Amino acid sequence: MKKLLINLVFSSLSFIGYSDEAYQKAMTQSIEKLFQATTIPEYVEIANQFERISNIEKTEWLPLYYASYAYIMISFQEPENAKKDQYLDQAQKYLDQAMAIEPNESELHMLQGFLYPSRITIDPMNRGMELMPEMNKSLDKALELNPDNPRVYFLRATMMFHMPEAYGGGAANALPLYQAADEKFRIFKPKTELSPSWGKEINDAEFKKVQEVMQK
Amino acid sequence: MRTIFIILILLIRTSIFAQVQVSGKVTDSRDAPLPGTNVFLKDSYDGATADSLGHFSFKTGIKGIRQLSATFIGYKPFLKELDLDSARTIVLNIVLEELDEQIDEVVINAGAFEASDKKKAVILKMFDVATTPSAQGDIFGALQTLPGVQKVGEDGRVFVRGGESYETQSFLDGMQVSTPYLSKMPDIPTRGRFSPMLFSGTLFSTGAYSAEFGQALSSIVDMKTNSLETEDKSSISIMTVGVMASTTKCWKSASLSLNGDYVTSGLSNVINKQQVDWTKSPAGVDGTLMYRQKTGKTGMFKVFGTFNHSSSGMIYPNTQTGIKQDILLKSSNVYLNNTYNGMLSEKWMIKSGLAWNYDHQKFDLDNDQIGTNQKMFQAKLQFIHNLNEQTELKFGADWVNFSYEQNIRMDGNYRLPFTNNELSGFAELEYKLSKKFATRVGARMENSSLLGETTLVPRLSAAYKTGNHSQFSLAGGYFYQNPENDYLKFAPQLKPEKATHAVMTWQYQTEQKTFRVEGYLKKYADLVKFNQPLATNPLDYSNTGSGHAEGIDLFWRDKESLNLSDYWISYSWINARRNYKDYPVSAIPTYVSEHNLSVVYKRFFEPLRTYVSVTYSFASSRPYHDPNFSGFMNTKTQPYNDISLSLTYIMELFGKQSVVHLMVNNVAGFDNVYGYNFPNTPNAAGKYESTPIKSPFERQIILLVSIML
Repeated sequence: MKKLLINLVFSSLSFIGYSDEAYQKAMTQSIEKLFQATTIPEYVEIANQFERISNIEKTEWLPLYYASYAYIMISFQEPENAKKDQYLDQAQKYLDQAMAIEPNESELHMLQGFLYPSRITIDPMNRGMELMPEMNKSLDKALELNPDNPRVYFLRATMMFHMPEAYGGGAANALPLYQAADEKFRIFKPKTELSPSWGKEINDAEFKKVQEVMQK
Repeated sequence: MRTIFIILILLIRTSIFAQVQVSGKVTDSRDAPLPGTNVFLKDSYDGATADSLGHFSFKTGIKGIRQLSATFIGYKPFLKELDLDSARTIVLNIVLEELDEQIDEVVINAGAFEASDKKKAVILKMFDVATTPSAQGDIFGALQTLPGVQKVGEDGRVFVRGGESYETQSFLDGMQVSTPYLSKMPDIPTRGRFSPMLFSGTLFSTGAYSAEFGQALSSIVDMKTNSLETEDKSSISIMTVGVMASTTKCWKSASLSLNGDYVTSGLSNVINKQQVDWTKSPAGVDGTLMYRQKTGKTGMFKVFGTFNHSSSGMIYPNTQTGIKQDILLKSSNVYLNNTYNGMLSEKWMIKSGLAWNYDHQKFDLDNDQIGTNQKMFQAKLQFIHNLNEQTELKFGADWVNFSYEQNIRMDGNYRLPFTNNELSGFAELEYKLSKKFATRVGARMENSSLLGETTLVPRLSAAYKTGNHSQFSLAGGYFYQNPENDYLKFAPQLKPEKATHAVMTWQYQTEQKTFRVEGYLKKYADLVKFNQPLATNPLDYSNTGSGHAEGIDLFWRDKESLNLSDYWISYSWINARRNYKDYPVSAIPTYVSEHNLSVVYKRFFEPLRTYVSVTYSFASSRPYHDPNFSGFMNTKTQPYNDISLSLTYIMELFGKQSVVHLMVNNVAGFDNVYGYNFPNTPNAAGKYESTPIKSPFERQIILLVSIML
């Protein structure tokens, strides 16, 4: 009787507590929503969800990674510079927490490299000079930790494509980089179901666009 | 028994499934909704995000007493205990308070302008300094677009708030620079020795500065050299005024940068019509070395070394004596400095440095010769101790050994040497009563072996935040400086000159906008006075001069209101009088103009890939003494006007990133007259004939192409 009660209590506890299964489920759903989000409120909502998950799963870097990613995406949409910086501060905060958990994760260094371009757009003349080297450093580190991280190749290609030819950028210079990114995406297998695996669709689209530009 | 179990299980299950609905609204203290707020039960996944009206609603199966949390960027986290057993629906109105951190802490800044690339909110970035057209790449030139600085076209140095140029003392990483400017020909403007590219920040104080700095009556400029470089890079530049090359090599915790240039205005003097009769176009060689080494976790060791050798020659119409003089100037300068900064413990920081400056200049005036040697050695040691979060104590000492020697060959040989050992100590305590109110109390003691004088002066400042982005500051103190070398060489018995400053500032600053208004009162005492210039008898010199200056400085900078543009406006009003040197009465000195205005406008034209900067400068009339009329300083010049333009075009050259930079000074070709020279004796008709003092060129165009290798 006593044993049974204890069992019951425990089973009910585990029911309201969060099993690994619940974490998997919550994350899967949230990640799906994240990549469907298009507006700032949608991104905020999903970032909030990741923050809640991260509050419980204190040893997981992934919820923080996605929360940070969501805020970077928000910053790209926000028109007001002062707010943009605030959103990026928030993204940086989550990223710093994630880095503290897993300092040698290629994806986190990649995300850091993904955050800088948004900072730069706020004040390109002043911040460009200071942050471009920082960005390169982060991407180099990401590659050092995982030479096959396709998102690093994708980001490098995109930066090259959108940089004016005069600065050494442009479609012609970007094409081989997209090519390389494409190859890396093809062989890429995320470590777990929840690990970052974004970027292939957009790389395909940009790759196509660059090829079209080149044909003209 | 079994049934009881089943019932029990069912009971537990239903109680688990009996969900509670939590809903409500999130607003700020002014009742405005805060959409996007994350409202959730702590340590659970259960929560929701507030919608556009601030409403939220979620269901939870959790029971018992739990913490409800609401978080939103820029607001204090909200926490409340909820008894989830108490009801099936819980409705809450959550009011979030703004975070204190949104309000920046008060900073003591009366009198100071800071240019920095590190901090977010500063008035100027070093990039701004480098691209201000009227500055022509000179740090001191850029400072002349800030309020409180007079336009003195024939000089080029920094004249602050009714003070002469020697009253501004220059520092490099906190260490003194005894010869910050290139050697100067009469009536031809000079410029600073150092390229703005070597620095990551500059602190420019136009009054009431910290006790750390001494031997400056009016102002200090502290240039901070670049920190550890993180990227290998090299570049070469070809200019209409010479060539320049630089390279940087980085290691894990060290970096070395080398810069070299050869500057000659030969070609430029042909392109730009000269109003000066050059016999030898100004030319010079410069070299700079910077080594940075990180030591331990917090230590930074820096070495900075630079040399310059330059020469120029001109025919100078010396109106005073009525003859045309053939002047040849050759000068050599070496400056070395090394500094070490680091944390000794969590609460103690050490800053130390050694500096050495050597300057030699030789004037050939027809058959006469004047050679001047200056040597300076400085050792400085400083400690900063954080007593607690609110209190910081700073104290230190420095020793400056300065020796001067002038050799004159002019109807005989004369030698005018002197040596001075200046020993100083200072202490300063900064105390933050709250995040809104800070005070700083300091004292400085100086002893000069040459003058045999010891001075002890207080420095005080306080700042109070009047709003999220605004603050009010007050500062004041006493300042001593030894008389200029040109007087000390004749009269070493002179005493230090003295100034008293009182400064009151109100500043509004966001990251994009700055407004600043500063009023000041300044009194001078013990200024050097003499009966006639260049008197050789020491007793002709005394410390009986005096003066005063009061004024208002306004500064406005806006980086956001005009699309893609950035502009700043400086305006200064000054009322200054002096009775010093050989003045018979108290008068406005020749370098003072009552109104000074600078407007700097910059914009990047994306489709043209061109960065355009324009400066407009205005200075009202300056007084001068015309011996044809009675009275002293009886006449005024016409006002000064200048429009300067620079274009920076970014492109690819030989597959390398390159910059083309075009600078045009005095685009509109204003014929500015800075003053007049008069002969010592009148002509046959009894009239003193005047010669205007003008810029050496009517208009100046400089083109630069820089290639990153």
